Amino acid sequence: MVSKTVTLTNPQGLHMRPAGTFASAMGKFASNVTIVTGGKDVNGKSPMALMAAGIGCGTEIEIKCDGADEQEALDSAVQLVESGIGE
Amino acid sequence: MYEGVNASDGIGIGIASVAVEPDLSYTPHAPEDAEQEKARYQAALDAFCEKTKTQAERMKVTVGEKESEIMSGHITMATDPFMVSEINDRIEKHECSEQALDEVCDMFYSMFDASDEIIIRERCADVQDLRSGIKAKLLGKEVIDLSTLPVNTIVVVSDLTPSMTATIDKENVAGIVTETGGRTSHSAIIARALEIPAVLSVPDACKVINNGDTVVVNGTKGTVHTNPSKAELSAYQAAAEAAAEAKAALEAYRGKPTCTADGIDKLLVANIGNPDDATGAAEHDAEGVGLFRSEFLFMDAKELPSEDDQFAAYQKVALRMKDKPVIIRTLDVGGDKEIPYLNLQKEDNPFMGFRAVRYCLNNPEQYKVQLRALLRASAFGDVKIMLPLVTCLDEVREAKALVEECKGELRREGVQFNEDIEVGTMIETPAASLIADDLAKECSFFSIGTNDLIGYTMCADRGNDRVRYLYSVYNPAVLRSIQRIVTCGNDAGIMVGMCGEAAADPLLIPMLISFGLGEFSVSAPSILRTRKIISQWTKDEADQLAWDVMQLKTAEEVQEALTKAAK
Repeated sequence: MVSKTVTLTNPQGLHMRPAGTFASAMGKFASNVTIVTGGKDVNGKSPMALMAAGIGCGTEIEIKCDGADEQEALDSAVQLVESGIGE
Repeated sequence: MYEGVNASDGIGIGIASVAVEPDLSYTPHAPEDAEQEKARYQAALDAFCEKTKTQAERMKVTVGEKESEIMSGHITMATDPFMVSEINDRIEKHECSEQALDEVCDMFYSMFDASDEIIIRERCADVQDLRSGIKAKLLGKEVIDLSTLPVNTIVVVSDLTPSMTATIDKENVAGIVTETGGRTSHSAIIARALEIPAVLSVPDACKVINNGDTVVVNGTKGTVHTNPSKAELSAYQAAAEAAAEAKAALEAYRGKPTCTADGIDKLLVANIGNPDDATGAAEHDAEGVGLFRSEFLFMDAKELPSEDDQFAAYQKVALRMKDKPVIIRTLDVGGDKEIPYLNLQKEDNPFMGFRAVRYCLNNPEQYKVQLRALLRASAFGDVKIMLPLVTCLDEVREAKALVEECKGELRREGVQFNEDIEVGTMIETPAASLIADDLAKECSFFSIGTNDLIGYTMCADRGNDRVRYLYSVYNPAVLRSIQRIVTCGNDAGIMVGMCGEAAADPLLIPMLISFGLGEFSVSAPSILRTRKIISQWTKDEADQLAWDVMQLKTAEEVQEALTKAAK
């Protein structure tokens, strides 16, 4: 398992569009992707769960990837969040 | 006559079609074969996605790309791996597809509903919409389809869901009446984008209006009149035709320069509240942005937006408006605008308290974040900085010193910006009006904020029923103040604009022409009408009218004289 903590910079938080973009990018990896926020584990491949977690702008989140391609998945996730998830 | 929320302007006349939601009730049962039941759910889900995809594509063409994203969002939500696996788990535990779907949708509904963020809470409507869409497929029923209605139909529904609006044929639907929804709901946004008159939140609309009733929807006033008399109907028809003609006639002013009848050029720009509004402003033919309220960036966030976030928003508007001017007002917080994370103290008299430029200058490090972002954006367009609620010269000097400090920092960092960026002030207090001659020497431009200027000059809150009668731009005190500000600005050779609602007031426009106002900043939909009115007056005519009006002693007399003179 590998993990890294990053800060979400999307001005309106993780709403529909970025949540969908993030989840579908993670869906391509075999590893499990989990976002830890406010002490809760959220399925990083589920836009609904990500939205429901209500992750606001400026929130620190821990991304955990576990599986065959975990490092690749983590790098991709971190890069995506740091670049503002397409927004 | 029924009353509701005026959600989309115009008068629509037609025959009511009361769209009744299909009966989606079912009897929960344990399926015999879980695998078969999962396949049944998958088939319904596929059919739902297929239909939604078609609707989204159609909507992209008929309504707009942004609105069609609501529909593609439904596919993202319905095919969510977490949602699908939750449903499959329940089916394996001997629940039928309908029940599994209901339970999982209930779960997501309550998760979204509990959110602090409006943008997340609004997803509740989408959960309900996709629930009924998939359930209709499971039960072999059709959800309401508004694509095959006869011409001149008034659609009456309990709630207009995004999937329903996707099927609306603009050519056939003359008006919309719903039982729920407000001015900011999906239904209202889409009705406005389609330019269909709409009245929302009419209690029991589906019960009190019958199929086949003749219905008049007045989306401007928010009224619905069923089965009017012949005389009433022809009056409505005349009003609707006149409104349609007037609107069509305004199109002649699209792409034309803004100038008076005798050829004096004016700048006609738009007031916007967020970067996306810049697109609407450009579509309405605005010659720039006269007021970009930067508050949205701060109010939509949970903590102070970073320099990069702010830069991105300002840059977006600058790029969208190309080389046209974009005046951005720095944070106007306090008064009635609360931003929880700034932890401002409660004040007995917030409108006369610690707000706007006062707050910013008291928090220079925080203010510099915004000023740096504005400077960086100035490399991408004609961005100007505007200070709100100025009451004395020191405030302008202090703010300009901070701008210079930021310029120095950026220069050292090798970041590009416009060295000659203009810094101007809003003139919205009697104090600023009285020292407008001195302010004009230190500012690059003025923009008169009439809403606050009237309030502070007349000492009257327009929200207070008992003193609202005093709140009028036609009051001689207010008019004299406006005249003084424009004169002082013009004497000093700086541009003077107006970004309050009065800039679009047809009665006031000739007065503003006479005073010598150079820039009119109005809401995007008012652009063409304002251009028309400006083009109807010569400076001489306006001067004659202004001379007469400035002799009058009361707001009533002024309004009466201006109404009489209106073209």
